[in-house]
Amino acid sequence: MSLLEVRGLTMRFGGLTAVNRVDFAVEQGEIVSLIGPNGAGKTTVFNAITGVYEPTAGGVFLGGRDLQRPFEARVALGVAAIGLLTGALGVLLFHLEPLWAAAITENYEFRKSFVWSRAWSGLGRYLAENAGGVLLGFLIGALVGAAGAYVVWARQRRTPFGIAGVGVCRTFQNIRLFQEMTVLENVTTGMDLHLRSGGIQALCRTPAFRGEEGKTCDEARRILEFVGLLRRAGDQAANLAYGDQRRLEIARALASRPRLLLLDEPAAGMNPTETSTLMKLIAAIRDRGVTVLLIEHHMKVVMGISDRIVVLDYGTKIAEGTPDEIRSHSKVIEAYLGKDDSS
Amino acid sequence: MRRLLRADSILLAVALLIPALDLLLAAIGLGNWAIGNEVCQRVLVFAILGLGLNVIVGYTGLLHLGVAAFMAIGVYAYAILTCDIYPFRVGFWGAVLLAPAFCALAGVFLGAPTLRLRGDYLAIVTLGFGEIVQDVLKNVDGITKGTQGINPLPPPSLPLYTFESSVYQPWYYLYLAILVGLILLVRNLEASRVGRQWKAVRDDELAATCMGINPTRVKLRAFAITAALCGLAGVLYASKLETTAEPTTYDFNVSITVLCILIVGGMGSIRGVMIGTAIVMGFDMLLKKVTEALQEAGLSSSANVFATPSNWKYLIFGLALVVMMRFRPGGVFPAGPRSAPPQAEEAR
Repeated sequence: MSLLEVRGLTMRFGGLTAVNRVDFAVEQGEIVSLIGPNGAGKTTVFNAITGVYEPTAGGVFLGGRDLQRPFEARVALGVAAIGLLTGALGVLLFHLEPLWAAAITENYEFRKSFVWSRAWSGLGRYLAENAGGVLLGFLIGALVGAAGAYVVWARQRRTPFGIAGVGVCRTFQNIRLFQEMTVLENVTTGMDLHLRSGGIQALCRTPAFRGEEGKTCDEARRILEFVGLLRRAGDQAANLAYGDQRRLEIARALASRPRLLLLDEPAAGMNPTETSTLMKLIAAIRDRGVTVLLIEHHMKVVMGISDRIVVLDYGTKIAEGTPDEIRSHSKVIEAYLGKDDSS
Repeated sequence: MRRLLRADSILLAVALLIPALDLLLAAIGLGNWAIGNEVCQRVLVFAILGLGLNVIVGYTGLLHLGVAAFMAIGVYAYAILTCDIYPFRVGFWGAVLLAPAFCALAGVFLGAPTLRLRGDYLAIVTLGFGEIVQDVLKNVDGITKGTQGINPLPPPSLPLYTFESSVYQPWYYLYLAILVGLILLVRNLEASRVGRQWKAVRDDELAATCMGINPTRVKLRAFAITAALCGLAGVLYASKLETTAEPTTYDFNVSITVLCILIVGGMGSIRGVMIGTAIVMGFDMLLKKVTEALQEAGLSSSANVFATPSNWKYLIFGLALVVMMRFRPGGVFPAGPRSAPPQAEEAR
């Protein structure tokens, strides 16, 4: 079974079909490149895989499982609970003052002790006497709340954070670091998925929390060492050189311990030395057991490290194969260089 | 780093010495210039409001213009929970726990449907919420006594000591201690995973989402914490004032003042917020004192508006803000990245 399988992926934006029925698969441990001329739909494919866009048609499967969250009993329960809550709010919205009067004001004498059971019975009496109005308020509130909760859930069936949670992580074509954080913090933020301590533990700085933070820091340093940025650990991310920012993005993505790493033009704007370091880095990432899918324009990188190449043009897949096959593929040459009219 | 630590200690020392300064002023016959009572009533409360707003505006990067509403909810929750005309009477410390919790809940109810909005739109929603809360408090007079306000409210309670409104020093030190405690807690949060999530969402929401962070949950948490802190500020404010005052006290001006505190001091930096509070509120107090002094000396009267410094308040304040934005847009103490832990230095 393939690690990643893209089946019949189609993305339409209004009348524009950016990606049209694209199929491809990535096997465990491979480096696969996605290439094509500008505007071919490569980044759109990435966005559809990572959940930034919802595919118009087709599906993305990771290890044979659809990345869309299934509708479970838990979801129905959650929607119902929110509906109940907003229903209660709806009742309050229409009946707040009389309810208060029936429960509190009528049963309380200044500085006398207060009998809660009388408040409850007063409340019950009011609710029974005005059953119609109360029910109306409840229904309106519950309907709005439940419908809202369901819509929110339905729109989040495929979310980037959910997909990151099952082990797909990415970098971006135009660098998107957390600019105002330090290099180290960028990496520890990438590890967030695997941290367990909650807000209360952080508030009190419990030993468990401090232990986890320490471990997180150590691991972040190891990752920074791996990509060669350890000596910049304390610098602000925005102050790094361009090539270093690209490597930091990779480090941040690696920190989430992905099974599949998507790299969007990692070599863009790099000089030849940086590019060859990057190629070594990508190979080393693969050797750590992470499968890599990359978009790249530098043919030296693509041909040098890819196990297989998928070629897109105008949103459709025109070729797939090993670097050698692609190099001599007529359709690919046509897409990049244009058709030879003389023949 | 050491320089900044010293700034913190100086600030704390000044705060600790203000009551002593008052005694000194009284001793040399300048009792009118004593400020401690007002520092306690306004500055410490606004410092907590600033601390709260800093979480959502400074750390999470969402423009929130409704902190006064949460302060008002805190004030009224305190009143209803403790005043003798209601049956609950949980006492000061009970309310200190319950009122902020209620505010956090209100924050979640406001936040859950609106946090998908961005920037300006969220600002408008929070602004509207502020107005709605005022109107509701005014009109649900069966519960809140409308524009009368609820009074008297009980003072804080400590074993072996009863607070009296004529002696402000105990209130002052109690509120200062609460403020310091809150600062430490917020700092712990900021330095943890929670703080990193906030800043990640602020710096780049899409990238944060792709790293497995659920932005709605992160923002909701920030929203709830802001609401709780502002509610607590409300509790302290009402307890010192001994009444809720009328609902219009907690209007848009309060929210904007707190925002100004952040802008002047430096967003996303607790130290900045404290300095900002001292500057903004201190300036206000100083003008008031000067006005009073001039009136006493017969140099100013309500008839002569130009000779009344407190009338210049907004002019000076506006000018100061403009100058500030030109020369120090990040605030007095802009938030920098936290310096690297010591191990990083060794690795160099």
